[in-house]
Amino acid sequence: MFPIVLLSVFGILLLFLGFLKSRAILLPAALLFLLVSLAVNFIDWNKTYLYFNGMLLSDNLSMVFTAIVLGSAFMVVALSGSFMEDESAQPAEYYGILLFSLVGALMMIGFENLIMLFVGVEILSVAMYVLTGSDKRNLRSNEAALKYFLMGAFTTGIMLFGMALLYGATGSFTLGGIRAYAVNPQVGLSLLFYVGLLMLLIGLLFKVSAAPFHFWTPDVYDGAPTLFTAFMSTVVKTAGFAALFRLLSISFSGVYTFWWTILAIITTLTLVAGNITAVYQNSFKRMMAYSSISHAGYLLIGLAALGQQTKQAIVFYSLAYSVATIAAFGVLLLVARQRNAETITSGGSSSESFDAFNGLARQNPLLGFAMAVSMLSLAGIPLTAGFWGKFYMFSTAVERGQIWLLVVAVLMSAVGIYYYFRVIIAMYFREGATAPIRVAPFYRYVLVVATLLTIGLGIAPGLLEGLF
Amino acid sequence: MNTSYLPSDYLPVLIQLLLALGFIVTTMIVTHSVGPKRKSQKKDDPFECGIPVQGDARTPISIKYFLIAILFVLFDVEVIFLYPWAVNFKGLGLTGFIEMILFMGLLLAGFYYVIRKGVLKWE
Amino acid sequence: MQTDLLCALIPLFPLIGFIINGFGFRRIPKSLAGAIATVAVLASFLTSCFLFGAFLGNANLTSTAGPLKAVLFDWISVGDLDISFSFQIDQLSLLMLLVVTGVGSLIHLYSIGYMKHDEGFGKFMAFLNLFVFFMLLLVMGSNYVIMFIGWEGVGLCSYLLIGFWNTNTNYNNAARKAFVMNRIGDLGFLLGIFWIINLFGTTEYTDVFKQATSLAIGDPEILAITLLLFVGAMGKSAQIPLYTWLPDAMAGPTPVSALIHAATMVTAGIYMVVRSNVLYTLSPLTLEIIGGIAIATALLAASIGLLQNDIKKVLAYSTVSQLGYMFLGLSVTAYTAGMFHVITHAFFKALLFLGAGSVIHAMSDEQDIRNMGGLRKSLPVTFITFLIGTIAISGLPPFAGFFSKDEILAHVFEHNKVLWALGVLGSALTSFYMFRLLFLTFFGEFRGTEEQRHHLHESPATMTAPLVFLAILSAAGGVLNLPGGGWLSDFMAPLFEGSRQVNPEAFAESTIDHSTEYILMAVSAGVALISGIIAYVMYVSRGAVPAPETTERSMPEQVVYNKYYVDEFYEAIIVRPIRGLGDALYSFGEFIIDGVVNGVAWLVRAGSNQLRLLQNGSIGFYVFAMVLSIVAIIALRFFVRF
Repeated sequence: MFPIVLLSVFGILLLFLGFLKSRAILLPAALLFLLVSLAVNFIDWNKTYLYFNGMLLSDNLSMVFTAIVLGSAFMVVALSGSFMEDESAQPAEYYGILLFSLVGALMMIGFENLIMLFVGVEILSVAMYVLTGSDKRNLRSNEAALKYFLMGAFTTGIMLFGMALLYGATGSFTLGGIRAYAVNPQVGLSLLFYVGLLMLLIGLLFKVSAAPFHFWTPDVYDGAPTLFTAFMSTVVKTAGFAALFRLLSISFSGVYTFWWTILAIITTLTLVAGNITAVYQNSFKRMMAYSSISHAGYLLIGLAALGQQTKQAIVFYSLAYSVATIAAFGVLLLVARQRNAETITSGGSSSESFDAFNGLARQNPLLGFAMAVSMLSLAGIPLTAGFWGKFYMFSTAVERGQIWLLVVAVLMSAVGIYYYFRVIIAMYFREGATAPIRVAPFYRYVLVVATLLTIGLGIAPGLLEGLF
Repeated sequence: MNTSYLPSDYLPVLIQLLLALGFIVTTMIVTHSVGPKRKSQKKDDPFECGIPVQGDARTPISIKYFLIAILFVLFDVEVIFLYPWAVNFKGLGLTGFIEMILFMGLLLAGFYYVIRKGVLKWE
Repeated sequence: MQTDLLCALIPLFPLIGFIINGFGFRRIPKSLAGAIATVAVLASFLTSCFLFGAFLGNANLTSTAGPLKAVLFDWISVGDLDISFSFQIDQLSLLMLLVVTGVGSLIHLYSIGYMKHDEGFGKFMAFLNLFVFFMLLLVMGSNYVIMFIGWEGVGLCSYLLIGFWNTNTNYNNAARKAFVMNRIGDLGFLLGIFWIINLFGTTEYTDVFKQATSLAIGDPEILAITLLLFVGAMGKSAQIPLYTWLPDAMAGPTPVSALIHAATMVTAGIYMVVRSNVLYTLSPLTLEIIGGIAIATALLAASIGLLQNDIKKVLAYSTVSQLGYMFLGLSVTAYTAGMFHVITHAFFKALLFLGAGSVIHAMSDEQDIRNMGGLRKSLPVTFITFLIGTIAISGLPPFAGFFSKDEILAHVFEHNKVLWALGVLGSALTSFYMFRLLFLTFFGEFRGTEEQRHHLHESPATMTAPLVFLAILSAAGGVLNLPGGGWLSDFMAPLFEGSRQVNPEAFAESTIDHSTEYILMAVSAGVALISGIIAYVMYVSRGAVPAPETTERSMPEQVVYNKYYVDEFYEAIIVRPIRGLGDALYSFGEFIIDGVVNGVAWLVRAGSNQLRLLQNGSIGFYVFAMVLSIVAIIALRFFVRF
């Protein structure tokens, strides 16, 4: 609750800070604001409160998700130093919108009422439409924003329709009310309820880019400025899964038999579409877009096999995935910028293709190592956080006895190795003319922390236990 | 209160709907067929204040029109909140007053931001 | 407490070595990097020895040598499942520890000499240490999850080391092939682990096996688990159909081949089966399948080995074939014999690879044996040690290979006479190609270039010392388990208590009497000896050299006037068919298997290409696809019953 209020105020503050002559204060201010919000998040630790007339819930789980979201946002913002060098960029507005979008994400994490869910989704999405198109002179960025907006608006309609149907069937917008209806129907569940449930699910599945609602993802992730791609693929995804988990585990766990097959089919589709298509990509950024689809698939396993372990599995997986993804995009940002500077003088391949990483590790051991660790983690190699994320996820499937889902997931994770290792091969085993890249100290800290976190969670995954 | 409705209870609604639709449709058809029609090239041309048509209708317009319009709608709609508040002023009491001050404060902050950004400067 | 500390220290040393060398390989001088890496592994070896001594003393005192468990910390708990980060010290892990660290230290020492001139020396040493670390995790872990982590880790290191000379694209492809094939195996292994969790609710060895003893023989779930685990073993230990990566893996530096692809990593599959012996004993069908695959692998690889001209390729196929023997032993529940062969094989195959490395080193990176010959004068130490290794692997008494191979064959004989006959045939092939390799390399005239002759030299002491050590071990390793109840069988007996409990018949006292046993020994030794002599006749007395690929095979008139008419006849009658068979098997096996593997890869790529086209950028299409999907989902849910 406190972070929501604070972030709203801080967002406005940042907009006004933008009127100052010097831009230098913006980045530290944004980081400070995020830190403060992160700190006040834990005020209610170990207590459960309902806020705003029962609209928002604050418990340990929602605080952990909040911490993941705010932590990811902090790291993304910390990597945003390049705004300061770009004349046409408007950092105050970017940071302000980022903070506002976080308010939406937090509402999605803690909603107790479907209206809050809707408002949260909209705040987050609208902010993302704007940020996707923030590179105003880049046609691809404009195109991506428009696509994202059109498809997002379309899905919002479907989601709203679903909510209305649910209200029609249950007479309640609250999670508890819907649960009461679903668990203990007076005359049997109405058809409206089922259709509403499916439509609401579809709306949220679109936001986390599950197949077959994933078509926007590669185009948008590819077109958006890399920094915001990192933000979208971590914060938005985590918030989306937190919302899905809340919805399914609280309101709809009573009708598990109705939705799990649908979700299992969607999971399979997502895993196959994400992993298989990623194989053919030549652009690293586009590959990461497909990779984010495939990770949505792994996260969905936990929901399709909803059970005791799902909570822990989703929290751990989102954390592992977010940290590794941010580190990977962080390195990409540096490499692409270096490449762009070089191509202006010499000309060469695209700055975001796999070739851009050739020989990176030789001249920039730190960047190479950070990238290698995140790729290993995303591929799920042991002793990285990603391995345990997958392990937790797979054991939820085992717990429910969904062996075939497990088989698909394991096979697809083998395919995943192929494209993640392309980067490692390029960095370590290919010759390339990458010059040493200057890395700002703070940037370096972020990469080091992300890498250490990935390895640390891989060695001692028990650290997170007992938190919630 | 009767909580269960039979489909037949909706009959008046249906009748009204049909009447409303029917009136519009009938009027349109009747006026269309009754009125005299003379077609010529001049008459079929798009009409633009008596001046001959020039160029494409889809010309770029200044974004400023759009911004001003949006801002107008924004502030206009938000001011609507003042009416119910004013009506219930006594009932809502001090809490309501503080909330409204916060709301107006945010609105004014936005207004200040708009002005500082130079959105309202026409040149 | 003290054992806990010691257990933690063993894998910690190589890890520290890896961290020092891995992060400082640019700054640390070569001599120091080599010393750090070697000392790290040596320290592990000494600690293992100490632990081994303590264990033996303990066992004598209490006479119940149960496994010691060192719990380092609780790792994760998911629902009811608790996994702790703990090591299990028992007979099996101790043996593996000694082999891994002992042979590992020698190979580290050797690498100092062998890789001296390499640019990435520090990086190489760091990778080697990392490999040892993961290998130690694999053998020391007290549950399947830690074993899996080690399992993946060694695969990763093997990948890094095969592709170490990364300037060559072929080497990278070899590395990737190895990794992909291992991953296929790992998937089976992972599924097996999850199945174990599902069935037993734990992954701790002791708990799993205790619960397993109460199951009936032939339980279908155990069958599935053991088969899945064996798929993992197939990948790692290069059995049909996942063996083709191992010969390709010879692209890596020779010490890597010796350490990873001969002595340690490839035996992980055997270790895993022996570790899970209770489960495997419970599932006789799995054992039958293993037996079939094992003998097929042993024969196929041995026959391919007959024709190879690359010194390392011969040894690689020989490794595949010997791994087949080990699995053959396991398939007749002769777990001790299998482990015994793992140990002796680690000695002599490491020796042979290192010897080959020494030859390659002396010949300035020449690997083709057609361009060698007569090297025994220039490389005396290498020659003698290589000779010992060859005799050991061929199964000639009294060297190590004889005892271990013979024990496997004796158990197989008891079980199935046909398998035994095939095993002896394989043994003959082994002896032939090994002696062929020896004779072509060290005997006859030198066939290399003048420049190479000039450069010929015996390797430095850091390289020959490990050779001598390993030669002694290869020669004397047999005393570990002499026929008729040796030390090793007694030592390892407690490991198989559970198996004995579930299937007493499989562990009944041997029914064959001593005279039969001696006859069996004599037969296998005799066959090996005859093969060796044939090789001598062909390659030393007659001085035959395999023809280069470019020359045409002999014309008819050449045959008539050729004074080696007998040889030609001999070749037509015996060698040609075998060669033809080997060729056919080679092309068939490699082609089909590679074809399947590549086919899957192709399928994925093609699928990727097709799926990619869906992403056509048209927003109308995207929305259409979405609406279609929504309709499909609702139709599926409401109009299809499931």
